[in-house]
Parts: sequence; structure tokens; C-alpha cells
Amino acid sequence: MSEIRQIAIYGKGGIGKSTTTQNLTAGLVEHGKKVMVVGCDPKADSTRLLLGGLAQKTVLDTIRDEGEDVELDRIMRTGFGGTRCVESGGPEPGVGCAGRGIITSINMLENLGAYTDDLDFVFYDVLGDVVCGGFAMPIREGKAKEIYIVASGEMMALYAANNIAKGISRYARAGGVRLGGIICNSRNVDRELDLLRAFAKELGTQLLYFIPRDNIVQRAEINRKTVIEYKPDSAQANEYRNLAEAVINNTMFTIPTPMTQERLEQILLEYGLMDMADDYKI
Amino acid sequence: MTINTNSSNVATRENRIGSITGYIGNLKDLAEKSACGTLKGCSRCFSQSSTCLSSCALAQLSAIRDVAIIHHGPAGCSVASAGAYYLDKVMAKKRGVTNDTVYVGTDMNEQDTIFGSTEQLGKIIREVNRRYSPKAIFVTSSCATGIIGEDIDSVVDDLKEEINVPIVAVHCEGFKSRIWATGFDIADHAVLSSIVQPPKQKRNTINFKNFYESARPEIIEIFRNFDLEPIFLYCNSTVEELSHISESLATTCICGTLGNYLGNGLEEKYGVPYVRSINQCGITGFETWLREIGKVTNRSEAVEKYIAEQRAIYIPQIEEIKKELKGLRAVIGMGPGYTFEVSRVLNELGIEVVWALAWHYDKKYENGDIPPSMKYLLDNDINFETSISDQQNYEVMNVLRKFKPDIYLSRHPGSTVWAIKNGTSAVYVADEYMIFGYKHTLEFAKTILDSIRNRSFEKNLASRVKLPYTDWWYEQNVDAFFEAEKENKKVTI
Repeated sequence: MSEIRQIAIYGKGGIGKSTTTQNLTAGLVEHGKKVMVVGCDPKADSTRLLLGGLAQKTVLDTIRDEGEDVELDRIMRTGFGGTRCVESGGPEPGVGCAGRGIITSINMLENLGAYTDDLDFVFYDVLGDVVCGGFAMPIREGKAKEIYIVASGEMMALYAANNIAKGISRYARAGGVRLGGIICNSRNVDRELDLLRAFAKELGTQLLYFIPRDNIVQRAEINRKTVIEYKPDSAQANEYRNLAEAVINNTMFTIPTPMTQERLEQILLEYGLMDMADDYKI
Repeated sequence: MTINTNSSNVATRENRIGSITGYIGNLKDLAEKSACGTLKGCSRCFSQSSTCLSSCALAQLSAIRDVAIIHHGPAGCSVASAGAYYLDKVMAKKRGVTNDTVYVGTDMNEQDTIFGSTEQLGKIIREVNRRYSPKAIFVTSSCATGIIGEDIDSVVDDLKEEINVPIVAVHCEGFKSRIWATGFDIADHAVLSSIVQPPKQKRNTINFKNFYESARPEIIEIFRNFDLEPIFLYCNSTVEELSHISESLATTCICGTLGNYLGNGLEEKYGVPYVRSINQCGITGFETWLREIGKVTNRSEAVEKYIAEQRAIYIPQIEEIKKELKGLRAVIGMGPGYTFEVSRVLNELGIEVVWALAWHYDKKYENGDIPPSMKYLLDNDINFETSISDQQNYEVMNVLRKFKPDIYLSRHPGSTVWAIKNGTSAVYVADEYMIFGYKHTLEFAKTILDSIRNRSFEKNLASRVKLPYTDWWYEQNVDAFFEAEKENKKVTI
């Protein structure tokens, strides 16, 4: 039995990490892979599409209500295609410490034996702004060894991706964590593909996959489904299948080489993102 | 600097009055660089020994009689409670009063850290109030509550209507300052903002901020000569007493580091004059202080009479013993208040201070002036090697080996033991009144004489103890690591 591939998905808030992770998971499931998705966001919305709703009780809510002596099936639900779904959860906004919550819940999952040998993939879907050490938990202590950054051609998305790469390179020196590539969740920005390729190259990694923009994703979301479940025959469903294949076959794992703010801006200028005065149309 | 009692938070000494924890040089240089703002690299990236400001703050507050300290944090943060409880009971017994102060930890666990625990905190406060009926409640933070931003202020504000004794949020996260004396300020701030009431009538009282009031009967006696009554703070103080300290004629303290915040706060908020003289240690210190008290309370005549009487008794005796102390060389390691006060006394007794280590240094006090003890030394052209060393014992030992003083004087538990193991005679200036006034200055001089006359204990102990420091270290300059740190270089061992 091969080792479980534990993957953390990072990226700017709102970029589509949860959507991409769940659609990718659906693609992997179609390939016959066994997948567990761990939502690492207090909002607890990382498994909604796989479960068909937000019905799941989070790990932290369970610990709080029932103590630490809980069974695994109290916190883990089965979603689309047998996917195992866990939501770490967290405190209400403005109180407590959500970062510490992530640490506690991942430890809890380990203690309860959630990481069974039959799993092929574990995904950690982490809150967009990695605001403190707690949210870096999945890439510390050898949990997730593989990272994918979801980005788009927008400046702030690339800025966040570069910052995340800084964190990865710090942990990579001590442990085995590596960047597997950038996944572009397209926003239809001009020359987005070229920009993302150049950005990935500068970062010492690859553009693993370019997901085109298609409103079918939003329609599937309203119906609480992944695109593969909602419209299996659609072009976008195929895109996610291809993404799943790219992840399965990926062999390029590197320690990223984050760039300075100046260099990042230079790349953006090079690809014309910042000097078009007349491209802003209402 | 304005003291803002509307906020429950106190800025650190580092931020408020530019205090530092690292410097090696001499007194004049330190003063000059402090004045012109060129002091650089004044903290250390490591510390061999220090203490937590929260213990300092809570020890101050728990010494007040019949109050409750509710320390909101994990159980380990309340570790100082046992020591504080013991000390408070002993001090009360010594004075012949009872102190029913309770010190309760909220035992925060991991879940409380994740979800916050303000609800439980509210319940604990109510229960403590119901069970012990304290005269005031201090609800204090810890590092854990500080990190998660636990809203203690709101919990306290919500309970103010319900609980009919003063209840106050005390922000004493240990990580916020390297200087434990910030804890004194935090305790003073809590008292000033929530216990002290506006004055209704003036009284013939003097607020006397001290540690353990060991010279209480003696000072009451002295002040009786001037028709004044001291109120000792905070050991064995009552909440009722504290509520009236705004009615006193003046505030004074045994140690500027300890009393600076309260003294300035009372002056700023209620117009109670703060006696900013050098402290009462030694002859000059005692007389300067008494005269200042006389001045602010209009009792100069009575003070001069008292001084004349006492001088006649003690000065000949002190002069006599000075003959035997002349030429002795001393190293001193204390808090910044006492380091520079005791240096003055040693100078007065004819003992040469070859090196003085202060655990931290306040560039100025709350009113913007440099500390009077430091000013005195500079005005009188007294200079010596000085370091600001945060109890870095390896530096103390290096200094002792290099300078081979006749005596080492220190004021913090355990610190003199190291000197003795090194073969150096040492005097532990434990009690804050050990050098107070003429009488104790004489006794202090005699103690030094006793310590150096028979050195067999030090010699025997030193010959049987192997200290952990290498010969290599003793050959280095005291500032070897400190300077290397500033330059970001590595010291080759």
C-alpha cells in the first residue's frame, strides 16, 4: 500500500480553494481514489458540495459538547462517492483562537485513527489568510507534504500566493513539505495563462492546471453539488477530471523561491496587467 | 507623561519611559547617551534569569487585605499564588492582623483557549464574590488570554452593576515587557483607577509605598515628631485605606522603581505631591528625604530639629566605623532603584564601587526627569563601571572574578550565594529598610565589616564548589556576548 498523499490547499481568501478542492476530489473519486477532505476554516464550509449541505457537526463543536471521548463517526461524514469529510470548525468570529482550534482538531483526528491505510489522498482546505501559526499546522510536523496554491491573474491573488510560498520555503528547510504547483482558477483576466506561467516559473514551480471560468460551477454550488455530480457531461466536469489526473501524475515537487515585491510587480507589468488605462469598463 | 486611568491597559516601561535591559559601560556614558538618545542595542535576545511581570503585579495586589485575585489563565500561570499566599499570611501575622485575600486561578484549558471563556470567567467572578465576599476583585489576564484577545474588560464592565465592591480588569500578560517592574505599574494602575476615590478632606497622612513594612513602628515614631501619620502600601493595606490615599499630604516611597507610577499618578490626578528625592538610605539620603517631606508638608522646622538630635547620636558612630571601611572595594547588583541609591551610600561610607549592575534602567521617570538617585551621582561627579544586566549571572561572575571586590551586595534571593561560592564576601540587602536612616546605615556599615572580617566561610565554600563557568569565559570582556549580539556576530568559544 502506497503512502497517503496529504495535500494542503492554500490561496487568497475567496479565490475558490474550497470549490476547487471539492471538484478535484470528485474527479479523484471517479478515478477510484479514496479521499478525505479536512476543512481547516472556522466557517466550516469546505465540504458542503461533497455532503450536499452544511449538515456536518464540526470537530471542535463535538469536543466542546461531548468532551474528547468521541467516536470518529461523530465527526466524520461520508460524502459524494464515499469521500470522508471532516470540518475542523472554530470559535465564533472575534473570540477565542481559531488557529489553536486547527491544531487541536488535526491532533484529534490522528488520535481517533482517521488516517487509515486505505486512503489515497487527504486534503486540507485552509482558510485564505494564513493569519497565524495554527493555520500553518497542516504543513508543519510532516502532516501535508504537498502544497497547491490556488491563484488567478489578479494582483492580490499572486501577492498572497507569493507570501504563502515564503511560508512553504521556511517549513521546507526543516521538513519534507514541497510545492506541487499553482492551480489557476481563472477570473478571465487578460493574458492570465501567460502571467500565471511566468509567475510559477519565477517561483520555481509549475502551473499545474488552468481551470477556465464557467458559471456552471456557481450553478452546481447553488445546488450543493460538485460539477461532476451536477452535470457529469459538461465541459467543466472534464476540466476537473483533467485536474485530478494532473494531481495524480504530478512529479514536480519543489522548494519555492519566493520573489520580492518589486519583482512581483515587475512581472505584473510585463504581462500588461498594470498599464492598461482603458481596460476598465463598466 | 499623562497617566490615563480611563483605560485598563498600561504601556510597558520600555514604551512609556524608555527603560532598557542591556548596557555595559559606565555611569556617565549611560547618562549622556540616555539624555541625547544615542543608546543603542539595549535589550538582549536571551536571558539567563529574570521573572514574570505578572507575578510582580499580582504579588503587589494580593498583599492588600481581604481582596480577591482572579487570575484568568491556565493553571501554571497561577504558580506564584502559593508563594504570594504564604508571604501575605506571614506579613499579616507579623503585623498582628489577618489577611483573607484569596488568589484564584481560572484553570483555562485548551478548549477555553479555542472558544474563549468569558462566560465561565463571569461565573467564576460571581462565585468568588458569593463565597468569599472580598472587598475588591482584581481580574487579571495571562499570556494565554492575551494572545487570544479575551475580552476581560467587557466581563468586568458587565458585572460592575451586579457586584457592589470595586472590580477591575488587570492586564498583566507576561510577554509584554522584559522588565518585571512593569508589574508594579500595572498594580498601581489598577489601584489608582478603581480603588482610590477623589479626596473629601485632607488628612495628616503620608502615603508610603514600600514592600514589606518592616520598619513600620519606627517610621510611625519618626513621623509622630512631625504630627504626620504614614500609610504603608500595599502590604497589609485595606481597601478602605487605599480609597482615601488621595487625601494624604504627600506620597513617598522606599524605592523609585516601586513608587514612581503611583506617586506621579496621585499627583497628576489628585494633586497629592510626590516626594521625588533620593531615597532614605544613608545619611544624605535620609536627610534629603526628610527635608523634602518637611517642605511639602510645611514642617521644616520640626524636621530640622529631629535631624539635629539624631545626628548628634549617630554621626560620631558612623564616622568611627567609616575609618575601618575606607578603601574597601565593592560590586553591587540590584534593581535600578537600589543600585544607584546604595552606590551613593557606599560612596558616603568610603567604600569604592568598582562595578554596579542594575537589573534594568529607567531613562526617566513618569514626570520626565531622570531618576533622582542617578542624578545625585552625576551631580556629585561619582562615576563607576556600570552594566544593565537583567540578572545575567554569568556577567556578575565575570565581574567578580575580574575585579575581586572585598564585598558583593545584592538584593534578590539567591544572587549573593553565587558570589559566596566564588569566594567573595557578600551582603544580602534583603529588607528594604536595611540601610534606612541613621540607625540602619550604622547597622549596615557594621554588617559589611562583619562580613569581611571573617572570610573563612567563603573561602571554604569556594574551595569545594566548582562553578559552571569556564576559564575561557573569565578571560573574556564582560560585554563579549552582548557586543557580539549587537553586531550580529558569533563569539568563538
